[in-house]
This record gives sequence, structure tokens and C-alpha cells, in this order.
Amino acid sequence: MWLVTDSVFIGLIQAAPLMLATMGFTLIYYLNGFINVAYAENITFGAYFASIFQVFLGLGFFASILPAVLFAGVFSVLTFLLVFRPAAARGVGPTEMIILSVGLSFFFRYGATLLFGNNPYFLENANPQYWTIFGQGITDTQVVALSLVAVVTIGLLLFIYRTRWGEMMRALANNRDLAMASGIVPTKVSVLIWFIAGAAGGLAGIFFGVFALVTPYMGWNMILVIIMLSIVGGIGSVRGALIASLLAGILTAGITLVSQPLYADIVLLILFIAVLRFRWKRA
Amino acid sequence: MAYLYYSLTLVAIYIGLTLLLHLQFGRLGIVNFGVVGFWGLGMYAHGIMVALWGVPWVLAVVIAALLVGAFALALGALILRLDGQAVLVGTLAFATIVLHLVTTEKWLTNGVVGLGTIEYPFDWGSSTEPVFLGLVVAAIAVLYAYAVRLDGSFYGRLLAAIRDNEPLAHGLGKPTFRHKLVFFSVTCAGMGFLGALSASLFQFLTSNMIAPGVTFTAWIALALGGKGRPLGAILGVVATVGLFDVFIETFAPIPPDYALLVPNIKLMMYGAFLVAIMMYRPLGLLGNSQEHR
Repeated sequence: MWLVTDSVFIGLIQAAPLMLATMGFTLIYYLNGFINVAYAENITFGAYFASIFQVFLGLGFFASILPAVLFAGVFSVLTFLLVFRPAAARGVGPTEMIILSVGLSFFFRYGATLLFGNNPYFLENANPQYWTIFGQGITDTQVVALSLVAVVTIGLLLFIYRTRWGEMMRALANNRDLAMASGIVPTKVSVLIWFIAGAAGGLAGIFFGVFALVTPYMGWNMILVIIMLSIVGGIGSVRGALIASLLAGILTAGITLVSQPLYADIVLLILFIAVLRFRWKRA
Repeated sequence: MAYLYYSLTLVAIYIGLTLLLHLQFGRLGIVNFGVVGFWGLGMYAHGIMVALWGVPWVLAVVIAALLVGAFALALGALILRLDGQAVLVGTLAFATIVLHLVTTEKWLTNGVVGLGTIEYPFDWGSSTEPVFLGLVVAAIAVLYAYAVRLDGSFYGRLLAAIRDNEPLAHGLGKPTFRHKLVFFSVTCAGMGFLGALSASLFQFLTSNMIAPGVTFTAWIALALGGKGRPLGAILGVVATVGLFDVFIETFAPIPPDYALLVPNIKLMMYGAFLVAIMMYRPLGLLGNSQEHR
């Protein structure tokens, strides 16, 4: 019994950044219809931006979150405007677009390795507070992570399913020509969505970084699981992505408690390959 | 001199991987992003059989290739009916599973510490390395001749038909899925075969050798040379692995302080190249293939 409760508890905390990243990734996938592997570096760079604000500018951990998230959003918009939009305009197909995004991902990853070196950075909360909830220990960083993720998630769901901008995004994703004919400007909507997705990825990166280490490979190590959850959750469904990443977080926590974290990844990936053909339209 | 033989053998192995990728992607349109998974599985299977279990070298190569082919058959049966994006993600997931398993199953693979020593199949003193290089080159030559002959053959046209319009090929009564599955398994077994040869070249296997960089290098070489013709694979590998791993590392005077940066600069530039090629020259630097479109 302790295994179930512990898995749910730890899983919730671990799934918090994973949920953010999967939702951000899903937004881009939904709107543009291709898998953006370079989103991995958006996560990584979010953590590095926070490290820069913290280490070089001496901001506190919580104070460095906001500027780092804004930078990550701007970074995401720049990759869209400078690479993906011109590529789409040149008629690069969805499969070629993934290959292109893998190239971009390698470019940024090894660029970051050159800039920051292979040694990990430590993002840390200088004076952590420990609390006890339901007999489980929890730090204030984890509480902030959980509450921020909850706020962002609810905000995002309201934004997509309740506001006019969200409606415009869904219109563009479903029928681009019809949406443009009814006066929606695709670039404006796209820039906004890429900013939101980038900011969510950056925030996820900051929490991945504070729970573990900041390295150039952190995003790449996560991206496959994120792609997988986004597909399993139903391509383009933010709600589905949310549920899938929550379940994956709990499963990962459970497997980690009884063996080691890599086995959790292996189990998830094998499940994914098995499920892929049911979740994907036939070629 | 021994180091040069090592580098040239490595170039030959990359040419083989890229040729197989050319067959899979250029001929049949299968987006295999798990090259390192098949290659690494063959490499470790061979290494474990030779170094730990004492299986004869030739038998171990055959078993390794068959094993990889069997895994490719199972994977292909699950994902080859789906479109390119799904195949890409599925094969990438397979390669990641292989990498994770090599890291976790330390009792078998020794994980990051390393598995060894895998000897060459023969010991002829100083001529061992050149002869082994000759062996690898001969295997690649056979593969190259096959790829060239495929160009005008009936089977080659069948593969092109499946690539360009699968429903039509299916409608004309071709068992398209079975052809895809068989071709994919055999070419993946070829990657496993090259992996088994690589095990003898490296002699000592660690898990960081089967990182995604190998897949990526084969892809950048294919994209540079052009996916449409076998010669492109050779040119692409010479321009990437040949330039960075042989020419610069052997001949260019790089101060030792900066030598560690070279692999990072290399992969960063590969990334930038791949983006530029996909955007401006999707058919590779050589341009259009000989095929009539």
C-alpha cells in the first residue's frame, strides 16, 4: 500500500514539470502539425537562463524564474520565425521537418556544450523550507513547482478552450485555409502559441534543473518521453497530454521506488511502441 | 600508421551504414532514426558472444546479424504500416531502449565501465589491421554493387513504387507491407553485421559508443550526399567523418587544450548543415538523382 501512495505522491511532484513540457510540445504539434525535436533545447535553455540569472546576476531562485521563462518564450519564437516558418514556406514536409528539427536540436545542444562546458550547473533554492503534508516531507520548491504548474495548466486549458485566441488557434490547426479566409492572421497566432509553448518548456526546464542537474543533455533525455506522451495522449489534445504525463509520472515513480529510473523509461518506451499503431492513423 | 587504419576502417563502416540508410530511406522511404540501435545491438551481441562466451568469431557475426534482423522484423511488424513520423519516433524509441538496456544490464554488458577485449578474427602481426580494413571494404563493395544494380532492376522499381505511392502499388496487387517488412529487416540485419565488425575494430565497448550521434552522423552524410544515389553515401561520409574524424584529427595541428572541443564543434556544425540542406537542397548537394520523375 505504501508503494501506491508513495508513487502517487512522488509521481505528482515529478510529473509537474513533465506535464508543462508535454503541454507546450503538444501546442506546437497541434498548431503546426510536425514534431519539433528542438523543443528539447527549449527546456534545456530555460534551465540555463535561470542558472545565468542566478549565478551571474545573483538573483534568488524564485526571482530568476520569471525572466528565465520570458527568455525561453522569446527563444522559442525566434526558432519559429528564423527557421520553422521559412522552412514551412519552402514546402518542407512533416517528416523532413522532424529531420530538420533534429538538426536544429543538435546545433543548439552542442552549441550549449561549447558555451557552458560539460560540467553541470546547480540550480538551487538557497534556504529551502521543509514541510510535512499527509506524513510526507515536501520542500517549498516542490510546493511552488506544484502550484505554478497547477496555475499554468488551468490557465492554459481556459486559454485554449475558452478564449478567442484559443479558438483562433484551434481554427488554424483544423483548417488553415478556412481560418485565413475568415480573417485570422496565422503569424500572429503562431507567434503567441510558440511563445506560450516556449515559456512552458522553459519553466519545465527550471524545475527539471532544480530537482536534478542542469546539463546540455537534460532536454534531449526528456524529449522522447515527451513526444511519446503527446502522441499517446491524442495528437494535439492538451487534456490528453496532461493525463498521459500524470500517469507516466506516477508509473515512473513507482518503478523507480522498486528498481531504477532507467527501467521506467524502458517500460514506457516499450509500451509506447506497442501502443503506437493504435494511436496513429494509417499511412 | 595503425591509427590511420583504424580511422579508415571507421570511415568504411560509416559508408556501409549510410548506404543501408540510403536503401531504407532513399529507395523505400523508411525513416529509420534508430540506426545506432541496430548497429549497437549487433556490436554488443557480437562482443558478448566472443569475449564472454567464447563463441567462434564468424559464427558470432552471423548470429549477431540474425538477431538484429529478428528484432527489426518484430519492430517493423508493429510500426511499418504507419506514416513517416511514426516510424521515425518508433525507431528512435528502439535505439533508446537498446542504449538504456546496455547501461542497466551491467551483469551482461559491464555498462559504462566497458566490455572487452574483442580480438580481431586473425592475428597476422602488423598486417592484421590492413587486412581487416580490406575485409570491411570488401563487404561495403558488395553492398555498393547491390545498391547500384538495384537502380534499374525490377525490384528497385517496385521499391520506388511503394515509396512514391503505396496505395497504388498495393492496388496493383503487390504485397507492399510484406516487401517493406522484409527489406527493412534485411537492411537492419546489415547494420547489425556492420556492428559486429565494429566490435573487433573498437575491441572495447562502452555504452557511450551507442549514443544518438552515430545515427545523426549517418543521416547528415546521407543528406549531404543526396538520398537518391549510392555514390552520395560515399561522398557524404567522406565529407563528414572523413573530414572531421580522419583528416582534422590526424593531420590538423590543433592545440591539446582545444582538442576536446572538436567533437562538439563537429556535431554543432552537422546540425547547422542538416537544417540548411533540409531547407535549401532537400535532394542533397549533388542535386537530383538519375531517376526519371
